[in-house]
Amino acid sequence: MSRPFPYTYISCPCADTPVPDPARKRRSRGSPQKSPTPEQPNVDNDNKESKEAENQDGDEEEQTFDPRSPRSNFSLYPPEQLLYCEDCHQIKCPRCITEEIVSWYCPNCLFETPSSMVRSDGNRCGRNCFNCPTCTVPLAVSTIENVTATGSQQGPWVLSCAYCMWTTLDIGIKFDKPTNIRAQLQKMTDATAAPALDRSRQASRTFGDLKSPLSSYASIDEQSASREANGEQSATKEDETPTPDLGTDARFAALKSFYRTQISETSTSPGDPLGSDLGFSSPGALNRLMSLYTSSSRLGGLYGGSKKPKSKPPVMREALTASEGLRIAPEKGDADVIERLGSHECGWDGVASIDQRKEQSPDVRFTDDLLPLPCLLRTKRAKRCKSCKHILVKPETKPQSTRFRIRLIALSYIPLPTLRPLALPSSSSLMSSPVPDLNALPPLRPIHVLLTLKNHMFDPVRITLATPSVTPGRVASKVTVLSPQFDIGANSDVWDEALQGASAPVTGDPRLAGLRGVPEAGKVWDKGRNWTTVVLEVVPGTLPGSEAEGGNEAGEDGTLAQQDGDVLEIPVFVHMEWDAEAQLEQQNVGKASKPDDLVARELAYWMVLGVGRIKTSL
Amino acid sequence: MPPKAAKGEYIETDTGNKISRRSQIHGTQHIILGGKTVIQAEAVIRGDLYRLPSTAASTDPNNPPQPSNTPSVAITVGRYTYISKSAILRPPSRLHRGVHSYYPLKIGDHVFVGESAVVEAASLGNHVHVGAGATVGSMAIIKDFAVVLDGAVVPPGMVVPSWCVVGGRPARIVGEVGEGYGVEGAEGGMARERYRVVGRPG
Repeated sequence: MSRPFPYTYISCPCADTPVPDPARKRRSRGSPQKSPTPEQPNVDNDNKESKEAENQDGDEEEQTFDPRSPRSNFSLYPPEQLLYCEDCHQIKCPRCITEEIVSWYCPNCLFETPSSMVRSDGNRCGRNCFNCPTCTVPLAVSTIENVTATGSQQGPWVLSCAYCMWTTLDIGIKFDKPTNIRAQLQKMTDATAAPALDRSRQASRTFGDLKSPLSSYASIDEQSASREANGEQSATKEDETPTPDLGTDARFAALKSFYRTQISETSTSPGDPLGSDLGFSSPGALNRLMSLYTSSSRLGGLYGGSKKPKSKPPVMREALTASEGLRIAPEKGDADVIERLGSHECGWDGVASIDQRKEQSPDVRFTDDLLPLPCLLRTKRAKRCKSCKHILVKPETKPQSTRFRIRLIALSYIPLPTLRPLALPSSSSLMSSPVPDLNALPPLRPIHVLLTLKNHMFDPVRITLATPSVTPGRVASKVTVLSPQFDIGANSDVWDEALQGASAPVTGDPRLAGLRGVPEAGKVWDKGRNWTTVVLEVVPGTLPGSEAEGGNEAGEDGTLAQQDGDVLEIPVFVHMEWDAEAQLEQQNVGKASKPDDLVARELAYWMVLGVGRIKTSL
Repeated sequence: MPPKAAKGEYIETDTGNKISRRSQIHGTQHIILGGKTVIQAEAVIRGDLYRLPSTAASTDPNNPPQPSNTPSVAITVGRYTYISKSAILRPPSRLHRGVHSYYPLKIGDHVFVGESAVVEAASLGNHVHVGAGATVGSMAIIKDFAVVLDGAVVPPGMVVPSWCVVGGRPARIVGEVGEGYGVEGAEGGMARERYRVVGRPG
């Protein structure tokens, strides 16, 4: 229902198969395996009893797909999102593929970031791309000076948001150069090296100098001064430079190195894997644990089960000084914060929202602590089939390129379904408007929809369509496919089409629709080079509310509409057969097979046609 | 073409552009249509907001006839691009060195601009979909195969990478379109079909 009517979704069969396995056909699964897994989502109560008996072969033949069941949400995809694995001969949805990152790039400057830099940059753009901390919009680098046309642009630069008009002046930051802003910002906000005290003093002074007269928060200087006097933690300053504390990043680095040395000092044996600077996350940590257990048990067996450990393990201490990464909670930190929250110059607007805070360092409480955020990188990803590991999609690495080296999309294999309401000539249907309004289909009045299947393969395809005669769900609509079996021509050379005249299929298709007469059972409606149109006759059912008396109607209708119960969706089972050239197979698999042989192939899947919304009343 | 099309709502040009008689197109000499472009009723296209030559910019009142001698392009629209009802195309503008000047707006092929959308982008790539009621801010760049959802507000200067879906106010990247996006006849590839049915009775 995310798309306007009419729409078509295709169901990936992976929802029914717990583990996609190319070696085994779905049909050959044994029944004991089947019954516990909720195979087909819409197991009606009456079907359930009969299921045991008939699930020997292919229960999808017996059961219809219910687009309304909660489970179908996970298997229905718009056709263009699906891929096709040539090895498994199956449709692959985003759930049955694995992804690999091909390249990282910044969505703002569209520069590729080499994978070695991604980690050090924290998955963020290392150039000039920043997002606004208040509204997430990409910030622009602009100059403060009002330069005339003659003068060259220079002077202090700021990052400004064109959406919410936030600038770095609001937090008192200006930049000397318009390039490499991330490094400049890092330098300003982080006191990474050197004795923290003088440096932070200096930094606070520069901040005071830099603070713009436009800044509405005149309190930065006073605050930092008072905080330094108290020797307090700067819970409110964005970079904590005024205190003899390290910045967040620097503190993290200090803690990391501290714990590293602790581990190496306390490690029991010199050969201990933890002693090396691999850290806890390394597999060495696991090794150490395992060796502890195995050695103790073995020793226990040897030495008569003495439980006492051989030696007391050395104790790791915690960080003690600020240079080791310790930060002492400020004496009156919370009181200060509360006081500031209540003060007039802060107010509601001065407090950072949850959305803003979750992107920032944990200390940030107020809007003037918010720092511009370097843009998160995006990735280009290759996609592989989960079961056979064949590569299905491989984009070019360059961020700007939209080309693919490999792109096996389902649309090149399965026919592309398009749905269109049929405007009947006025003679057959008397008073209805030429094209029915799909958002308000009158119940119990038959409509005809045209389903066009367009073949993108170079082989002709035989199609068999099947629908349940009555759609599942609370509103039972009757559906008839007037010609369920038909052929679609091959997607022959483009030149053929050009030579035939590009307008040939064009003229054949919709303009004559009105003149084509009434739809007849057993006849395809229209046919082109590589497409075929068939007619579906649909009698929308009545909504439960509309049948009842008027008082009941409103409530029923409300709940039904909320659940999209009034949407007319038709499940259609598509079975396609074609003779593929074995050559193709040979190329891909590399297996020797008879060269000029045709291999019969078949593919079957469910698709859902969203026709429209049923009106409550006639 | 049946005779009805001749006196229909749309003017069809030699290159197959279908332009509604009720659209408002200003500064036609500054607009390039790629052919088979559809412009629907009440769409506003501001070709009159073209960039003045730099000499004229500095000495504005001196030579106003100069721009007419060398018409600069304000809006370029690609093939099979569809401008829906009440959409507004306006060249982006920027304050550059103290002078407010307009920049060309480039729209690629197979682009859809939804009903009452406002587009002020620097460029829309090919197969871009701009939803109904969306706003694309000044100097924004929307790359190929990107989708702007209905009602989104793409802030000025934003870059939307290819295959990305943006939505919300302000717009953020909310997802990606599938690999099959833009295939002829599928989602993103309906431009020819859209063009075909324009101006047809029924």
